[in-house]
Amino acid sequence: MDILIYGTINSVALALYALGFALVYGISRLPNFAHGALYVTSGFIAWSARNTFGLNYPLSILAAMVITALIGAAIYRFFLIRIRGMEISEIIASYAVALAILEGLRWKGFKGMTYTLPAFIPGSTSIAGISVDYQRLVVVGVGVVLVTLLWLFTHYTRIGLALRGMAQDERAALMLGIDSDVMAIVAMALGSMLAALAAVLLLPLGNIVVESGYNVLILAIAVCIVGGLGSWMGAVLAAFIIGFAQILTVVYLGSHFQMVIALLAIILTLILKPSGLFGQQKELEERV
Amino acid sequence: MKMRTLGCMTLVLLTMLFTFPAASTLAAESPIVLGCPLSTAFLYGWDAERGFILAVEEINAAGGVNVGGKKRPFKVETIDTRDLEPGVPVSEALLAVEKLILDKKADFILGGPVRSEAALAAMPLLSKHKKVSILTTGSLSPKYHAMVAENYDKFKYCFRIHGEAKNLVGEMMANFSSLKEKYGFNNLFIIAQDVSHARGAAEIIKDVAGKNGWNVTGLEIFPTGATDFSMALLKAKDTKTEIINIWMDMPESAILLKQWYDMKVPALPFGSTLAAAEQPGFWKATDGKGEYTLCNVVNAGNAPSDATEWTMKFYDAYTKRWNVEPEGLGASSSYMAAYVLKDAIERAGTIDSDAVVAALEKTDLMGVYGRIRFDPKSHQVIPANDPKEGAVGSILQWQAGKRVVVFPKSIAKGEILLPPWMKK
Repeated sequence: MDILIYGTINSVALALYALGFALVYGISRLPNFAHGALYVTSGFIAWSARNTFGLNYPLSILAAMVITALIGAAIYRFFLIRIRGMEISEIIASYAVALAILEGLRWKGFKGMTYTLPAFIPGSTSIAGISVDYQRLVVVGVGVVLVTLLWLFTHYTRIGLALRGMAQDERAALMLGIDSDVMAIVAMALGSMLAALAAVLLLPLGNIVVESGYNVLILAIAVCIVGGLGSWMGAVLAAFIIGFAQILTVVYLGSHFQMVIALLAIILTLILKPSGLFGQQKELEERV
Repeated sequence: MKMRTLGCMTLVLLTMLFTFPAASTLAAESPIVLGCPLSTAFLYGWDAERGFILAVEEINAAGGVNVGGKKRPFKVETIDTRDLEPGVPVSEALLAVEKLILDKKADFILGGPVRSEAALAAMPLLSKHKKVSILTTGSLSPKYHAMVAENYDKFKYCFRIHGEAKNLVGEMMANFSSLKEKYGFNNLFIIAQDVSHARGAAEIIKDVAGKNGWNVTGLEIFPTGATDFSMALLKAKDTKTEIINIWMDMPESAILLKQWYDMKVPALPFGSTLAAAEQPGFWKATDGKGEYTLCNVVNAGNAPSDATEWTMKFYDAYTKRWNVEPEGLGASSSYMAAYVLKDAIERAGTIDSDAVVAALEKTDLMGVYGRIRFDPKSHQVIPANDPKEGAVGSILQWQAGKRVVVFPKSIAKGEILLPPWMKK
């Protein structure tokens, strides 16, 4: 039972890390390597809004999500738009932005282990005899709602359909009057907002540290590669595979192998099925 | 009248001419450069840097270091080694040390590298350049001073002024024995970070605890950056563990402690190098969930106590200078290292490395955390439980928002308390 409960929590956390990255890549084929940096930035924005500017907690969270979305949109508008379509350049540029953000935060004094956000609901409960704190249950609840809302958004709203159109065939979407740059900006803003949502949900479990930006990026990439780059449903499934694999590893092999799982999953996927579980990229090449 | 005025002015000018150089002698003398390779984004790096700066400011304000009759100031040159960051290779720290020696012309290396792996790797480099080094923070591996003892001629330039892992294990075991005696505790669970000193110390404590009649219910080693400790905590709970011994300096240890509190694990979190809990801001950062957490800040002075007359003077001076209390391992030891080096240079009368090594070996100074002496064979600071005998450690427990020193008894300000969900 403990494996089931904490495996689910770990998997949903991984899915939250990865959804923003998967969404941006799925829609605009942009590998946003600034994803982890945006995650950390939003945590510090929420912290500053609450502790420096005295906003209440819900407003701080809202501010963090909106500002992070704007930062994401600005990254595309001012940096990535110039190198659109050149994936290696996009990776290098977005990673450079990530480094600038993370090192900038450190330079401004955001270092140490004392930056934290409070839990939405303090306390814990017992499920089948296993203690679980409410914040982790909130993480699972929001994760499920988020995936449902994302599915509804991309299937029933005008912008969502335009985004899917872009994802399926950019040229055809352009012919139908969908502005690919505007959609890419929307995708970056949405993806960044998802990174911020993950941050405000998960950071109350620990503390806000610059270094976690790199870890979040690695985990997001691992989930997206296993799930298939471009498929956010694949990302959700991959998050569950990696999440449970990590927990099982801790229980049966040893906790020090925990981090290896994500990296091993990347290697195995690239060897056995480079397109991932649900990815369309390279699928044709693989068939050929 | 004119002649008298002229005479007075001449006299004043001549006085200025002769007195001015004397007043500016300290500024004119070239500084003794202290190269500090530190992981400055981490607690064990920045608190060490603050300790050095504070000591150097005090020393320079008091006239500097008397080197064979000439007063020379200290100058701190810090380079960020980043060696505490996950994924940063040891070679980066070595490059930082080399840069301090070659580019910054460091006369001495104080501080780090902070991570044991990097500190050990830097030893041959220090020997090659014949640079006297005093480790003051982070590196706890017993291998460091063992290497000096094994190959003295090569590694004689390396000193360590703070406690090491075996020391810390001894202090832990003394406390475990007290808890066993007082509460009948018998089950011990160990959680360590996957880094050299923590792995080594965890293995040692597992071995020693087993020999001392403890039932070691588990040893879990987590990679740096791990963010979920639920399975280990559940194992501890299932095995009726009473003490969880933690060896972690990564920021994510705060997650572990919050999880411990949320899951109400009926075991006392007894950390050694538990960086998250060492900082004064820990209480606020965990909304009080860190209450009852114990951690070893390695040397007295890093938490309030009256170990020596100098302890609270340092504590208050640090707090005044940096607007925060001494924060953890590295603060008092770095501060003391500058004073110990000053003392050795003044006795040697030169900054020549071999002469300073000989002088350091004869160090006998009552410092912030007790009597400072180095073992002449291994160059490890001599530890003790009584500050009159040697360098004393400090184990603190978070109690009602305060860091209360509970060990050693000679300097303790309180007793270990158990969380309410542990009381039978």
